[in-house]
This record gives sequence, C-alpha cells and structure tokens, in this order.
Amino acid sequence: MSADNEQDAREQLIDLAAQFYDQFELGEIPHMSVPTRTKNNIEYDEESNVWVYGDRESTRSANSVRGARKLLKAVYTIDFLADQLDEDRSSTLRELYYLSESWDNEEAQFTSQDESNSLIEDLEIVSGVTREDFHMRPEESGATIMGPLYLREQTRRGEREIHCQEDVGEGGYQIPNNPDTIDFLDCDADFILAVETGGMRDRLVENGFDEEYNALVVHLKGQPARATRRITKRLHDELDLPVTVFTDGDPWSYRIYGSVAYGSIKSAHLSEYLATPEAQFIGIQPADIVEYELPTDPLSDSDKNALESELSDPRFQTDYWEEQIELQLEIEKKSEQQSLASRGLDFVTDTYLPERLDEMGVI
Amino acid sequence: MTSFQSTLGEEPGIAEELAESQQAISIAEFFEKNKHMLGFDSGARGLVTAVKEAVDNALDAAEEAGILPDIYVEIQEAGDYYRLIVEDNGPGLTKESLPKVFGKLLYGSRFHAREQSRGQQGIGISAAVLYSQLTSGKPAKITSRTEGSDEAQYFELIVDTDDNEPEISVEETTTWDRPHGTRIELEMEANMRARQQLHDYIKHTAVVNPHARLELREPQAHFKFERATDQLPEETEEIRPHPHGVELGTVMKMLTATDSQTVSGFLQEEFTRVGKKTADSIIDAFRDRHYGREMRWRPPAVHESTEPRSADTSSEQHPREDGDLEAAVTDATANKGADATAAFAEAIAGAVDDRDRIAHHELLAIVDSAAETVEEEHGTTFGDTVRENAVDAVWLTLIDELSEESDEVATDAETTTDESRLVGDLYELVDEATSTRKDDEIVRAFAQRLAGKFADAADDDVRHRVTRDELRGYVDRVAELTEEYDDVAFGDTARENVVEEIWDVMATVPDDPPLVRELNGDRDATSDLVDAMRATDIMAPPTRCLAPISADLIEAGLEKEFDADFYASATRDAEVSGGDPFIVEAGIAYGGELEAEGSADVMRFANRVPLVYQRGACATTDVVKDIGWRNYGLDQPGGSGLPNGPAVVMVHVASTNVPFTSESKDAVANVPEIEDEIELAIREAARDLKSYLNKRRSMQKRRKKQNVLGKILPEMAEKVAEVTGREEPDIDDAIARIMNNVLVERQVEANGDSQSVSVVVENNSGTNESLEITDIVSAEPTALPDDATAVEMDGEWFVKWEPDISSDDEATLEYEVPDDATFDLDVKGVETEKLTVKQ
Repeated sequence: MSADNEQDAREQLIDLAAQFYDQFELGEIPHMSVPTRTKNNIEYDEESNVWVYGDRESTRSANSVRGARKLLKAVYTIDFLADQLDEDRSSTLRELYYLSESWDNEEAQFTSQDESNSLIEDLEIVSGVTREDFHMRPEESGATIMGPLYLREQTRRGEREIHCQEDVGEGGYQIPNNPDTIDFLDCDADFILAVETGGMRDRLVENGFDEEYNALVVHLKGQPARATRRITKRLHDELDLPVTVFTDGDPWSYRIYGSVAYGSIKSAHLSEYLATPEAQFIGIQPADIVEYELPTDPLSDSDKNALESELSDPRFQTDYWEEQIELQLEIEKKSEQQSLASRGLDFVTDTYLPERLDEMGVI
Repeated sequence: MTSFQSTLGEEPGIAEELAESQQAISIAEFFEKNKHMLGFDSGARGLVTAVKEAVDNALDAAEEAGILPDIYVEIQEAGDYYRLIVEDNGPGLTKESLPKVFGKLLYGSRFHAREQSRGQQGIGISAAVLYSQLTSGKPAKITSRTEGSDEAQYFELIVDTDDNEPEISVEETTTWDRPHGTRIELEMEANMRARQQLHDYIKHTAVVNPHARLELREPQAHFKFERATDQLPEETEEIRPHPHGVELGTVMKMLTATDSQTVSGFLQEEFTRVGKKTADSIIDAFRDRHYGREMRWRPPAVHESTEPRSADTSSEQHPREDGDLEAAVTDATANKGADATAAFAEAIAGAVDDRDRIAHHELLAIVDSAAETVEEEHGTTFGDTVRENAVDAVWLTLIDELSEESDEVATDAETTTDESRLVGDLYELVDEATSTRKDDEIVRAFAQRLAGKFADAADDDVRHRVTRDELRGYVDRVAELTEEYDDVAFGDTARENVVEEIWDVMATVPDDPPLVRELNGDRDATSDLVDAMRATDIMAPPTRCLAPISADLIEAGLEKEFDADFYASATRDAEVSGGDPFIVEAGIAYGGELEAEGSADVMRFANRVPLVYQRGACATTDVVKDIGWRNYGLDQPGGSGLPNGPAVVMVHVASTNVPFTSESKDAVANVPEIEDEIELAIREAARDLKSYLNKRRSMQKRRKKQNVLGKILPEMAEKVAEVTGREEPDIDDAIARIMNNVLVERQVEANGDSQSVSVVVENNSGTNESLEITDIVSAEPTALPDDATAVEMDGEWFVKWEPDISSDDEATLEYEVPDDATFDLDVKGVETEKLTVKQ
C-alpha cells in the first residue's frame, strides 16, 4: 500500500470531522447519514452484477442522547485512526474495542465489539475508504491458498516471496488481512477452486488435486472473510483465472457461493471490490445428490424456508438455480461435500470434480 | 340509614323511646350502653370526639350568623382529668337556648331538616357534656356573650341523668374579651393517646374550612391555622323531601299529617320537585299499580284490514262484519224506537271501528257520548241500564264472549283451528316481542293459550283489567305450558318482552285515585303510591340545600395546609341518592414537602367535617383503593390499594343526609350512587395530576437529555477541533436546536460612539411561544422599535419586548445604546428547561 493511499485515508477521515465542525458552526445539529445496512436495503446492481446498498439511509444525529453518543464515539475513533495512520501502525477490530477503554471520556467508550465494528463500517461507507486502509483488520480468518502461484507479500518485516506450493507446508499459504499488499509474480494455475470445508480442502491437497489439475485451492472456511473474497477477485481479475466454488449441498452453502459471487449484506458498499460475479458453482448440486445417490439428511423447516427465500432472491434468479432449488425442495434432501466419500476417498478427485469441471468448461 | 333517619325524624327521639320502653334505665345507663356508637368508647377517643363535636358546633354557630369563624381549642391537664376549652366567635347564646343546646341529649334544630349541616343528629355536643359529667362529675362551664351586650354570662350546667333534663346550677355575669361568642369548658377522663387523630381532625378541618381561623393549644404544643379566604360558604336552604327518597313508613306518617285532601295535592304540597304534571304522572303510575290496566283489543274493522296478512289462517276466520256490532247494540237496546236505536247502534259501531284499539273504559266513554248525541237528536232518553246493556253487548262481541256458541269457540280455541280475534291480536304482539328465531307455530300456540288466559279472566273481571304483575303471571303460566307441550325454551327475557309489548298497548284506567283519608292507613295502596313515586321520572332535588366548598377553595385549603408542588380539585354536579341530593368534591395535592415514603394520605370529609376514624370502613377509602392510580402516574404496588408517593387525596361528600355506617359518623356507607360520584370526582382531579406529572416527566427527561448532551456535545466539539486543528466551534445554536429550545441571543456591534444591539429570538420548539423579554441596560437605549418600551428606574433602563414567535421562526429586537452600556437579559414565558439565553 502506498503512502498516498494512507494520506488519502487520513484526509478523508479528517474531512468527516471537519463536516461535524461545520455543522456546529452553522448552528446545525451534527449528523452523519449512512445507508441502512439491512437486507431490505440491498439491491442487485444489474450493471456490475453485485449487491449494493439501496437508497435508504439511517441518520446518526446528535438530536438524541443515543445519537450524540454515537457521534462522539465516531469523532474519538476518527482521532484514533488518524493517529494510527500517522504512526503507520495497525490494530484489530477487537483491539479498537478494548482500546476505547483507555480514552479519557467514558461516554466515548464502546459498550460492545458489535458497536465498534459497526462504527468502523459506518466510517468506511461515509469516507469511501476501506478499513484495510484505516489499518484496521479483523482477527485472522485462517483462510489459505494452495497451488502453483508465486507471489510477493509486503509484511511488516520486509518483503517475502512465496510459492504457494513449494514454500508452504501442507497447510498452504495463509491469506493476509490486506491482500492488496500482495503482488502476483508468476502463476501456473488454470483455475481457482474455492472449497467450503477444511475436510474437503485437506482431501484435495492429500490427493494432489492442485498439482494434477493446476488448481489454486482456496479454503473459504465457511462464510469467506473479506480478505479471502478480495484475493479471489484479484486472482480472477489480474490473472484471468476462472473461479469455481465447491460447497455442501444445502441452502446455506449456496449463500456462501452467493457472497463470493455477488457480495454480502454487511459489506455491500464494497461489493465491487470484493465480489466475483463470474464465479461458477460446482456443487454439491441437488442434481448430484440424485445422480450419485449420495448419503443425505432430510431438509429441516428452516432449510426449506431458506430455499424458498432463495427462489425470490435475485442472485439465484437463473434457470439453473431455479431448477436446482426446485429439485431440492422436491427430494427434500441435502448432502455434505464429504458424503462423496461414500464412493471412496478418491472419488471426488478422480471422478466427481473432473466430470463437473469438464461439464462447466473449466478443464 | 335513610329509613332510620327519616323515621327518626317523626319520633320523639331514640333515647326517650328506649328509655320509655325500659323505664328503669336512666339516660346515663343509656349513654354507657351506647357510648361506642356515639364515639366515646375510650378516653383517647372521647377527647377527640368532644373536640370534634364542640368545633363542629362552633363552626355552625358562626356560619349561621354570617360570621367568619375564629375558633380556639385548648386542652389542659387538670389533675386526673383533662380540661377541654372551645371558644368561638359566634353570636352567643341566651339563657333559654343554652340548656337545650348543651344539655339535652338528642335535641337539635337540624334533626328534621333536609339541609346540609355539620351536626345531623343532635347527639353531638350534648353527648360530650354528658360524657364529661359522667367521668369527672364536674358541670359544663359555659360563658356566652351576645353581640352588643356589655357583659358575658357564665353558667354551670348539669344534666339530670334520670329525666334527661339539663339544669343550670350556677349563673352569674362575668367579663370576657370576645365581643360575642361562646366558650365551653369540659373536664373529662381522657388521655392524649389519640393526639394524631386530634391533629388530623383540626388540620383537616382547616383544609375544608378555608374561611375559618383555628387555633389549638395543647399542654406542650400550639398550632395556628390561618384563614385562606374571607368568603363564607353559601347559605343553605331547607328543602322538602324528594319523592325518590322516601320510605313507606314516612309516607304513611306524612299522609296522617297532611292538610291536603287529594293525592295530587298531597304530592305537590309535601314533596319537592312535584307540580301538577309530575303529580299526574305519579297518579297514573299509581293507577297502573293499584287498579291495573285494561287490555285494548282491536275492533273488528281493524281486524279485517290487518288479518288477511296471515294468509294461512284468514280462510278459517269467522266471517265478521261491521254489522255484528250494530246488531249487538240493537239487540241489547229495547223500547227506544227503531230510529233512535239504529242511530245509537250506528254511532257506537262507527266510533268503535274508528279506533285502532279499544279498552273497556274507552268503550264506556263512546257509549256515553253516543247516548248523549242520540238523546239530543231523537229526544229519547238512554238511561244507565240501556247504556250498560249496550256496553256489555259490544264488549262481549269484541272479546268474542257474546253468546254461548261463541263462548265455546273461545274456550275451545286451543283444540280447534278456529281462532278468535283475541288470538290474532295477541299473536301480533307476541310475534313482535319474540325473536324471529321462534317458530311461527309456537308463537301462534302461545298466543292461543294467552288468549285463553284472558278469556278465563273475563269470568272474574270482564273488563280485562290486570296489573303488570298479573300479566306477568299469565305470561309465565303460558310460557311454562309452551315449554311443556311444544318443547321450546321460553326464557325470562322473552317473557319480559312479551309482557312489555302487551303492557304498552294496555290503557291506564281513568278511575279516580283514592282521597288522602282513604289512603291513610291503607298500607297496600300507600305502598303502590310509593312504588309509583319511585317509578316516575322526577327532576333531581334542588341543590340550594347544599354548600359545596367549590374547587377553587379546595385548592386554597390544600395550599394553605400542605406545601406541595401541585394541587388539583374537582366539584361534581349534584346527584341524588335516596331522595337526598349530594355533591362530591375531590382534591389532590402532590409533591413538594409531602411525605414521599409510604402510601398517600386520604382525607375524608362529610359536610365539611373531617372523618378521622374507621378509615377502612369508609366508601371513600374503598373507592380510592379501587382506582388504578398507575394510569394517573402514581405508584401503586400491585395495581390496587392506596397509591404510594408524596400525595394527599381529599374527598368531600356534601349531602342533606350523608349515609354513615354508624352513629359515630366516622365512615361513609357504601352507597353505589355516592361511590360512583366519589370515583368520578377523584378521577377528574387525578386527570389534572396526570397531565402535571406527564409534563414534569417530560421536563425531567428534557433536563436529563440536556445534562447528557450538555456534556457530550462540548466534548465532541473539542475533539472535532482537535482532529481538524481548528478553534473550538460555537455549539449553543446547535444545542438550542437539538433541545427544541427557544434561543435568546444578544449581539452587540460597535457603531461609532454607540453600540447596535440586536436581541434575536429563535424558536426551535414545536409550539408557538410568547415571551416576555426584559433587557436591563445601564444607559438610555435609543432607536427602539414600536413594539418595545423602555422604562427608567434608578438609573437603569428596562427594555420590555413581548414577541410572539411561531414554531421554527425567529424575531429580532434592535436598538442602540451608548458605548459603555452593560446589559442583563431576563426572559419569561418559557419554561427554563426550554430556554437558552446567550448574552
């Protein structure tokens, strides 16, 4: 990250404080408007094929005691972030929460981490600067990459050049919190295979799938963290790698695919920066459950509701998804990725994935 | 209570009555046996009761003479006894009236009066005198001075307990510093354990008698209660009893005593709110009860026009024509000549057919008038016998009992399909009265049986005259038969509806009511009269016999005795209970120095007399406990019972006859009408309390918000200045706006030798605001606009400006002052919580 970017982030933050200053001077009630971050205010942007916030805004105004406290905290946080950028330090979201305890003003201290997290999101949205640029990071998500990729990461202890197959152990290369500090040096991969569960990721690595098919195996670890989604997008955009997503065969896993491909509610303001609309879904598809006669669990009521609501979800409004979801509602069954093991440990790497990837035109 | 009270009024007095029947018992024994009833059951209580009776008497004496009461109460320790002294500034007493007032038990000028007064039963002060005499053996010492007399009279008074006769044992003249008034000194066995009740009594008396000055001196303490108003309570007038409030026994006695001959005269003379019209209504109601009503049947002509509606039965109907009636009359009239007879018959038949319905007495009138008309035209005399015959003939035709054959038809009506007109008539009424769900056949069967009842009754009284109760008896019997034979429910409501429907078409009879002397002693008839009086709508009794304290004076009284933040009061309109008019008033004091811990105080008053004992037995307490005080912003543990918090609730019941639970007059009885009014009065006052508390809460909230924001915003401004590296911003305008406040700001600009001043008022609140702004300037202001004035006082100029500013608007006052002037802004008209002043 360049010094320009830092300077820019700092200026944006100070501009925000100056806005409050001007509001005071004009005799106005200090306030700050941010898009409402709820499901109802998420819109599908047809142009970029990702999820963005709609027109609804919530105003944080000093009109009420609550609002005034929020703004006071915002100003204290701005002060802290500006200092942090000045000193080129960084901190985690959780650290910010604890750090507020040290502020001289009790009214400005956070009462929960949700509060500080949400305030950082507010600041991101209002200033147009990502929290990575504020030098705020989440706890490590532990997501990894394994595959024929050679990269250079700027760490606090200098530059490191790493090959994601040769320089790493079986665990793979751990994705840093701010993947924008990475330069891609060389890549022999043909495609990206993003995998939901750790068990399946380990199976693929053990079976040497990355080597055999020149695949970059990205471990999502459930709902993927921002960094995982960001690096996936960069790999796709910069190295022109097709992205495939391999998850369990249930409605919640389809949403993992959705957030890789189209963005999530909490970070809809960053969808264009995080989402990869070209990502393709491998499975487990409901059709696979039928075709491979996989071991299943029955759908629970909440599973069914989730499927129903996906039917009306614009992300899944394609013939493909409608067909699959309706099929699943019909068979009332779901299967995990690892249920493929019922056909043998190599079935997934020898048969299932090659067949699916071939069908999808990836290999 | 009412009956006891009003019956008592006619008796020589309960004490004498009891003493007479038990000749060996002296008045002292009577007192001893009944002292709990009279409030003298213990030494502690006896003292309070004695004070209470003496003070009530004193207040009444002064008020009756139009004097603002000034009352002094002293309690001294006198050896083994206590000495009670009560002085008033009333008109004083003469030697003749004195023994009666203080000596004779159950003497009282107001014993029989329907007028609001403190003492109602004449037991009061004389009981205290007797109590002191019985316990200490000392006489009552009375000093009295009438207005204008040079000297005061001193008496010592003893009651002869054998014959309840007071005796003056000492009589001399003395000097006294009061120009007029009465002083009574009683020594009695007592103690001061009920001191709290005594204080309550005096304090509460001061609250409800804001026109009185009270002083209480005890061995160790001294209290003064000054008056809050010079306005005496309105004088009350005595009224006659109201017809709704008298009992049978009372009416019987009144009948014995009255000079009136007729019932109508009696009602108008002896009762309030009864004039000719009301008396007529009562007498009609009496007739209905005493004589019953007569059934009105439809004449044949009406039947023929209405009957075909029920097509299924019309074919089976006896063919009848108008001719029947004429024929009947003709048959019954003998020896009157063909023309006259025909004219007579035609006149009767015509008149009957013209009517929609006809009762027996109405037929009588028709026959009489027909007879007179024909007599005039034909010169033939139609005597009583002829007329009676004609009436009988027509009436029997009308009710289908003319001949033997038709008699059979009528009695067999239930078994044959034939129907008499009676059935048709009744069917119509019953059908109207019962719900549509009742099967038509059932209704018809019911009507047939009911017609049978009427037919049976004709054997006793051919006129079909029945009282409502008898009619109900018919309907009950018929309904039971219907339930038995037709197996359908015929419930109470349905029965009552049928009775109501039939009773409505029946006619009140024109019989003259009995004369007073006939009624006198006839218990049943008198009972009918009392019922009739109760059933008739009569205007509420006049309220000039009542003297409520009035809402304003209640507040004044509360303000005088309680240092609270808020006072509310309500006076209801007069209502009637048991013939006695009454008015309920309520007052509430809240906050301030009132005790915040524990439950609120309830002060109870009856006719301006505080009730200090038997709180739990009193209707007032019950009502206060039943009100959901949480709705009115007071704390109420468990949602019922006395509310908690710094509050005083007072209730005053003013009535010509307050119903007490006992003779000691400590608690108001649970009379529903009075309870309702108490509740409404309290709720009325409580509503004001609620809006006060709401406002106070919203102001508290505002203050809290202001406090928090007043801390947060400057800190935010400071931090913003720190982050942006600028001067600290001015946040007053923003705060005023946030608080929806009214911002008053003065700006001063140097303008050569002088200064231009502008006072800007910015109204950020949601309502229009009217402000009174005073800018106190140390030099003479010039160039003032027209709507502002400047007044000089001691070298300072008061610039007054009273702008009205609508919501979200602003106004500016501009003027000039010399260079060295100083200023001081004073703003009124806006709550301080809503005001921000910057100068």
